Amino acid sequence: MQWSSTEQQGCVVASPDGRVDEATAEAFTEHLAASVTMAADSPGKKLIVDFAGLDYMSSRGLRALTLAKRQADAAGVAMALARPNEVMREILAISRYDKLFAVTDSIEAAI
Amino acid sequence: MLVRFWGTRGSLPVAATASIVQDKVAHALLAASGRSFADIEEARSFARNELDFATSGTFGGATTCVEIEAGDPANGDPYIICDMGSGLRGFGLDAMRRCGQGHARVYHFFMSHLHWDHIMGFPFFVPAFDPNAHIIIHAGHEDAEEALRRQQEEISFPVKFDWLRAKIEFRTLKVGETYQIGAVQVELMEQHHSHSSFGYRFTDAEGKVVVFSTDSEHKMDRMEGEADVEQFFGNADLVICDTMYSLADSVSMKEDWGHSSNIVAIDLCHGGRAKRLALFHHEPVYSDADIARMHAESVRYEELTREHDPLEVLCAYDGLEVSL
Repeated sequence: MQWSSTEQQGCVVASPDGRVDEATAEAFTEHLAASVTMAADSPGKKLIVDFAGLDYMSSRGLRALTLAKRQADAAGVAMALARPNEVMREILAISRYDKLFAVTDSIEAAI
Repeated sequence: MLVRFWGTRGSLPVAATASIVQDKVAHALLAASGRSFADIEEARSFARNELDFATSGTFGGATTCVEIEAGDPANGDPYIICDMGSGLRGFGLDAMRRCGQGHARVYHFFMSHLHWDHIMGFPFFVPAFDPNAHIIIHAGHEDAEEALRRQQEEISFPVKFDWLRAKIEFRTLKVGETYQIGAVQVELMEQHHSHSSFGYRFTDAEGKVVVFSTDSEHKMDRMEGEADVEQFFGNADLVICDTMYSLADSVSMKEDWGHSSNIVAIDLCHGGRAKRLALFHHEPVYSDADIARMHAESVRYEELTREHDPLEVLCAYDGLEVSL
């Protein structure tokens, strides 16, 4: 799994690439945890996970998002999901994760 | 191998109210607008074939009870039943009918666990009053007998357990063992649930496999253990799986309530290369339309995340029969 992080207007934007399944879920979880830590030290105290490069995500990835959100809540970091493709948007709706997370069409809208 | 679902609802029996039935009739009338039917059979055919299931039928409201017919019942193979929810009453009456036609009066029960919704049918199980019946209750729990006796104490029920006429035995099964019971081989797996629960894997002589896995929560902080679950589900012809909540509910408000989601069940079945999944242990507050929507969404999720052969996603309802 490819992963890159940038800072935009004081917020950490984390950009995973590929698919999150059984084989990549552990790496995804670790990258998320590191990104939350990075966001806790950022001025905006916000982590935006940019879904634009994600093909799809199984329940393991979704549950990793929940674990990251708990870590984020404890650290006072807000979390948002941005730019999901159509497949990811459907998965977020079917799992009702769109009720747990703010989901936006752009990075700017999430900032 | 044939699987009959006698009770598919979770936690608490439910029944359709007058307004629910009226709503179904109103939807059916709208769907039939402008049509006329020559007789009741033609009307039945319309209801069966042209209306959606949530309008023409119901997923039912009886709690967990699943029968697995294996081997050759006409030649003495015994009944196999998973759990004793309120659906057991209907099974018991039908079993008496079949016994009248020569079926062996031997009943092997396999208990997922001993919570009320999974044992409440036993006091109403007519074969328990049959002096010629032999009932063997298999459980991973050592306190199965205590649970069944306690619910028939006078404070809860007028008929004491000791007044039952059938020969009743309790057998504790161990994880890691394989048992030949009736016409099936049985293995069990411990699951995460209050006071623990057990899943069962049944294999018949032809190699057909049914897995019964209800009241099982797959915890976020133990995801590495899911490989064992996938192995237990491995290449099953049918996995009957607890899908009571949405994934979001199961990791938030309803975390630690001991139940799973449609999403996790599909992922586990995909991981185990199972052939069919029956969504099961339906949330009692869900309407038929809610369950039908959850089924449609589950079918779509399976399509979106499929990496190998398709997994057929069924939605269990009271009265469903699945032939394997």
